[in-house]
Amino acid sequence: MKVTFKDISKQYKGKYALENFNSELENGIYGLLGANGAGKTTLINIFVGILKSDKGQVLINDVDVRSLGIEFLSHIGYLQQYPQFYKNFKVMDFLRYMCVLKDIPKEQGEKRAKELLEIVNLSDASTKKIGALSGGMRQRVGIAQAMLNDPDILILDEPTAGLDPQERIRFRNLITKFSENRIVLLATHIVSDIEYIANQVILLKDGQLLKQDSPQALARGIEGKVWNVTATENTIEEKLKHLKISNMMRNQDGIHLRVINDEKPDAHAVNIQPNLEDVFLYYSGDGERW
Amino acid sequence: MVKLLLFECRKHFLKKSIVTVILLFSVLNVVKIYSVYDQTSLLSKSTGSDWNDLYWEMYEEFGGTITKEKIDKLMSIYGPLDKQTADKTASTAIDNPNTYTGNVYNDTYFFRWNFVNPMEYAYMYRSYANDVVTAAKENLTFFESLGNQYEYKKNAAIADRYIGRVISDFSYTEMYENYIHYDFSAFLVILICMYVLINVFVSEKETEMDVLLLTTKAGGTKTVIAKIMTSAIFVCIVCFWFWLIDFAAFSTIFGSLEATSSPLYVIENFANSSIGISLGEYVVLSDLLKTAGILVLSLVFLLISTLFKNALFPFIISLFTTFGFIYMQELYMGSGHILLKILNPFALVVNRELFRKTEFVSLFGYPVISYVPAFLFAAAWGTLCILSIVILIRKNTVNRKG
Repeated sequence: MKVTFKDISKQYKGKYALENFNSELENGIYGLLGANGAGKTTLINIFVGILKSDKGQVLINDVDVRSLGIEFLSHIGYLQQYPQFYKNFKVMDFLRYMCVLKDIPKEQGEKRAKELLEIVNLSDASTKKIGALSGGMRQRVGIAQAMLNDPDILILDEPTAGLDPQERIRFRNLITKFSENRIVLLATHIVSDIEYIANQVILLKDGQLLKQDSPQALARGIEGKVWNVTATENTIEEKLKHLKISNMMRNQDGIHLRVINDEKPDAHAVNIQPNLEDVFLYYSGDGERW
Repeated sequence: MVKLLLFECRKHFLKKSIVTVILLFSVLNVVKIYSVYDQTSLLSKSTGSDWNDLYWEMYEEFGGTITKEKIDKLMSIYGPLDKQTADKTASTAIDNPNTYTGNVYNDTYFFRWNFVNPMEYAYMYRSYANDVVTAAKENLTFFESLGNQYEYKKNAAIADRYIGRVISDFSYTEMYENYIHYDFSAFLVILICMYVLINVFVSEKETEMDVLLLTTKAGGTKTVIAKIMTSAIFVCIVCFWFWLIDFAAFSTIFGSLEATSSPLYVIENFANSSIGISLGEYVVLSDLLKTAGILVLSLVFLLISTLFKNALFPFIISLFTTFGFIYMQELYMGSGHILLKILNPFALVVNRELFRKTEFVSLFGYPVISYVPAFLFAAAWGTLCILSIVILIRKNTVNRKG
């Protein structure tokens, strides 16, 4: 399976939400990373057919999705931001309903729903009402419904928003489990969601593609630009004002700052290994100062 | 599609709160019907008289086919009573053993209101209808000479409809009279529909399911159509439930189904009715038209709800829209603005206004009885609403996501 975005543009009131976006995706997990308003949801909505782009094409195996018509929807599984679903539906009934919507035959759908509930560890909750589930459980129902039609492309729009750390880890593991032989496009602004599971990261800013590469390659790209700087109570204010800081920690030695800077910020600064958060800040945090 | 309909039903209509509201409103409806009987029936105890048993005793004698013997017998009772009470000097004693009710005045009113007046109306209706036919035929000649084809056809239609009209039976019509003038249950049904239907589309937005639906094969237009269809089924079920309660409660509380086979114009308010069907048939026709009218109003509620993200605003707007329809109906009810009257889908809800008079609307120069275009206009409104809903739902979701 190959997905190609070709010159996708979308404007709202004369302002680009997405501008000449080009990308190619093959099987694997793709983290779509960008600040709020970067164009992630616009891109996803264009991809799933909710929005029409002003310009450009989305191709699946070199075929324009528009020519596939409604059949295109059988290739995708989608989980939206903050899903509530129907509170008065039981989990299994909700999945049955989704099978009807996805045109999955009854027996096949029943079998698949049970399998998926097993995988997402919700078999015991299958008769519970959705309204009685925790946020994490509801999100797992969400990914189960997205997987019902065994899609070639799984699209997740900020799926971990509002989850506690334990549920977030559990959800990340599920995504990895489901990524075999399919494209997973995961939009988020939480770097840790994709740092260790994404094969590639697509960095978006103001509707434009900044970078697309593996997290390791992206980190390598800013090697030598991340520094550990120790400040005192007297110098901290000055440093906060002038440096791009991704982290700050106070201990007995003083205040340790993780600084992103093209040049050595001070004589005692020590070069350290960059991570994805640094990459995100390096590319998308222009002008951001404390 | 059937599965989709069943899920839509479960999603929006099979809820305890809805069943509770319907049951509570049903009880309220029965109480209201009882109060109608209590306050308006000549046979109810709270009207101050206790005529019920006496009425049915006399009805045995005077009910059924109107004959000269029955009229003579009735007049032999009523004539002396009328004379005695004409100058208001008769005895006011309430324990007079020579009377039926204990009081001469009471006897007079009993016979006048329950037998003499209604029987006189029934008896005289033949002559009234003949007069209408004669006048219409005279008009035919007149308008033909003027070359006015529209008026000619109109009068021909009137003559055709009134010819041979006769009320041959005297029957107890109080139940039907009240039943066909009863609108409270329709108001309750409209409130229920408003309360329930506002959520059909709004709930999808509140749960963010509208976006997810659009990413599934059957979640677009198919689901919208399923929602409209289940809403229509819900409206029909609620309507028929309430119409059933109305009929059962009226016939039980009034204690009679007499006059079911009598013509509609046996009710005085329908003396000029455009249709000559029986009261029983009219009940069915009226219920069907009421349901159609409420269906159109429900589509308006659904359409309004598609424009909003939460239920409060569409509920308030729908409420005011309904009041607007009612106001328009009241405003043009008795007026000559027939077109303005029939443009309003609420005209189908209080459809007696369409049937109690013979009114025509010019349709391409041809006179058509007003209930036909009223129905066509309502159908047009309904179709327009459905089309708008199908277009707006997707557009709104797309705009919202944009």
